[in-house]
Amino acid sequence: MKKLLVLMLALTVVAGIAFAAGPSIDLKTASWDQIVAAAKAEGSVTFYAWYFPDYFKEAAADFEKEYGVKANVIIGDQTANFNKAIAEKDMATGTIDTMIVGGQWVKTTTDLNLFYGPIRNMLPDNSKFPSTAWEVQEGVMINGYLAPFHRNQTGILYDPDRVKDPPQTWDQLVAWINAHPMDFGFCDPSKGGSGQAFVFTAIGSLAGGFDKYKGDKELVPSKVANWDIVWKWFNDNKDKMTITVSNNDSIMRMNGGELSMTVAWDDNVKDMISKGNLFKRAKMYIPKMGLAGGGDTMGVLKNAQHKAAALLWISFIQSKAQQLKKFQMVGAYPARTDITIEGTLLSEEDRKNNAIPWFPAPYKDFMIKEFVKNVLMK
Amino acid sequence: MSAIRQISPWYLRQARRRRNFTTMLTAFFIIVQVLWIGVPIFMAVLWSLVDPNHPWSYPNILPSVLSWGQWSYVFKYTNIIRALKTSYTLAPCAVLLSFVLSLPTAYVLGRKQIPGKKFFQTVVLLPIIMPGMVVALFLSRVFTAFGLAQNFFGLVLAHTLMGLPYMIRVLTTSFEAIPQDIIDAAENLGANTFVKIKDIFLPMVRPGLLAGMVFAFTTSIEEFNLTFVIGTPTFETIPTILYSFLGYNFIRTNASVVALIMMIPNIIMLFVVEHFLKSDYLSASLGKL
Repeated sequence: MKKLLVLMLALTVVAGIAFAAGPSIDLKTASWDQIVAAAKAEGSVTFYAWYFPDYFKEAAADFEKEYGVKANVIIGDQTANFNKAIAEKDMATGTIDTMIVGGQWVKTTTDLNLFYGPIRNMLPDNSKFPSTAWEVQEGVMINGYLAPFHRNQTGILYDPDRVKDPPQTWDQLVAWINAHPMDFGFCDPSKGGSGQAFVFTAIGSLAGGFDKYKGDKELVPSKVANWDIVWKWFNDNKDKMTITVSNNDSIMRMNGGELSMTVAWDDNVKDMISKGNLFKRAKMYIPKMGLAGGGDTMGVLKNAQHKAAALLWISFIQSKAQQLKKFQMVGAYPARTDITIEGTLLSEEDRKNNAIPWFPAPYKDFMIKEFVKNVLMK
Repeated sequence: MSAIRQISPWYLRQARRRRNFTTMLTAFFIIVQVLWIGVPIFMAVLWSLVDPNHPWSYPNILPSVLSWGQWSYVFKYTNIIRALKTSYTLAPCAVLLSFVLSLPTAYVLGRKQIPGKKFFQTVVLLPIIMPGMVVALFLSRVFTAFGLAQNFFGLVLAHTLMGLPYMIRVLTTSFEAIPQDIIDAAENLGANTFVKIKDIFLPMVRPGLLAGMVFAFTTSIEEFNLTFVIGTPTFETIPTILYSFLGYNFIRTNASVVALIMMIPNIIMLFVVEHFLKSDYLSASLGKL
């Protein structure tokens, strides 16, 4: 028995080393043609996501048709995906080649050094994306390790049958909330980015604007000293607002008539409308007080078995044709700058004038913890 | 009416009161069952049939248009067929292995006086007390080290591990409940160990065994964390699909479809097992084994 166990362990180690060897070329210095050839030799790629099963399944079929490389798409749960990636972090070869990274997890995964790279210069279309999208994701420095493929923006979603004159400024919003108790909702910021965006706007509106946090790599205690005003406002008005448990829960509650106005992600809203989970009359805008936008990225895991195929898959999803297809199928706004599209929920004018960037990640982390401590637990 | 009530003897009035009380209790039971089980299932069915182009929204009480659109979406864009095959192959294997492993353990815990018996009885429950993802993350290391990740036997083992606590606990109670008199009588009549197992232990623990099997089976069918960490991408089960619609990216219509796909075979199985469970209890209590 003991011998058998030792033999199994030895075989596992040998197999691990063999697989960990990865592609025979150095991807960082290889040309794109060499990477494509290496990807074809690898034969398959395993990709983890937690949304748009329809789009990714069709993209996988297109990818296989174009390159002959099989894309194994696993649609899991966001938290479970990252728990799995973290659990496999120290293995010589993991089972995930590439995955979507959302704002919720970007700091944790970056701190854990989970991703291979930087991959920015390995991908052929990298110049077609905004430079900032390669450098920062929702306040976290990603330094070209994660590839943008998708842009999304928070905004105020409302039922035009019940809200005739939606608020634009913070004061107007407060007045509206007072006039319509419990009709306005936002997601618990520890559960979803739309809630984080709303609390961020509240901080900017009540605690001295957004500019003072710019460029900070670490939290400056004096800059957050007056955030007590913000927590006080939330506590004073908690009984007039609905705090939901997830981004999609806010939308579902609006569909059910419980809310008539909520903060939501534009891509979530489009997806929910297309699946019959939200009425089609819903409207959305970015108020003048500003709401933060973001975008998800894709990364290649450090211990990926098929790194070249993972790069090819990311490049394929970043391609113009696929970015357009994604928009047509699920309404997700392309991350490329060379695509102009029409028929979006949010107007280009709103995006240009009212979308604001996140403050640096240490502040965002602090904001979520403090909100839970000072508002939710009180 | 009041005249009749006045002349009714007390025992008739009591019988009427009892009958009314029984009717009230039955009505209460039916209402609770309908609210507790019927309404959620009915809502899941309705949500699963909402037409994607005609959302079911406020102020509509019921969906305006029903269609199979959500069902065809799930079958077209998820790996549900593969997941169904895996789940319903995995669960019976896990139940069988749970039975084989739990029988001797339950026998010892139920019939023998061993030091630390209470401690062991508690320890076997640990996998269900600890949060699923915590168990999954720690066990995944062990499974990977022994080459059990990404293979079917590893998954059977993982599901067995999650079902074992239920099986052991129920079987232990069944073994404890066997009257010593019957065993003594069998021994006096010359029964050897094999005869005792075949004619006394197994028939008398059968109701417990069936209950344990139900628990182990449903635990396996619903297990998500361990399967996701050590099974995917090679294997997907129904909950791995369900969680993609229930978790962070909650889509009620699609989640309802997958929940119903998972629920219906389980409900049928519960009714079948319940039927056997009742007849076995009767046999056991009447000594007709």
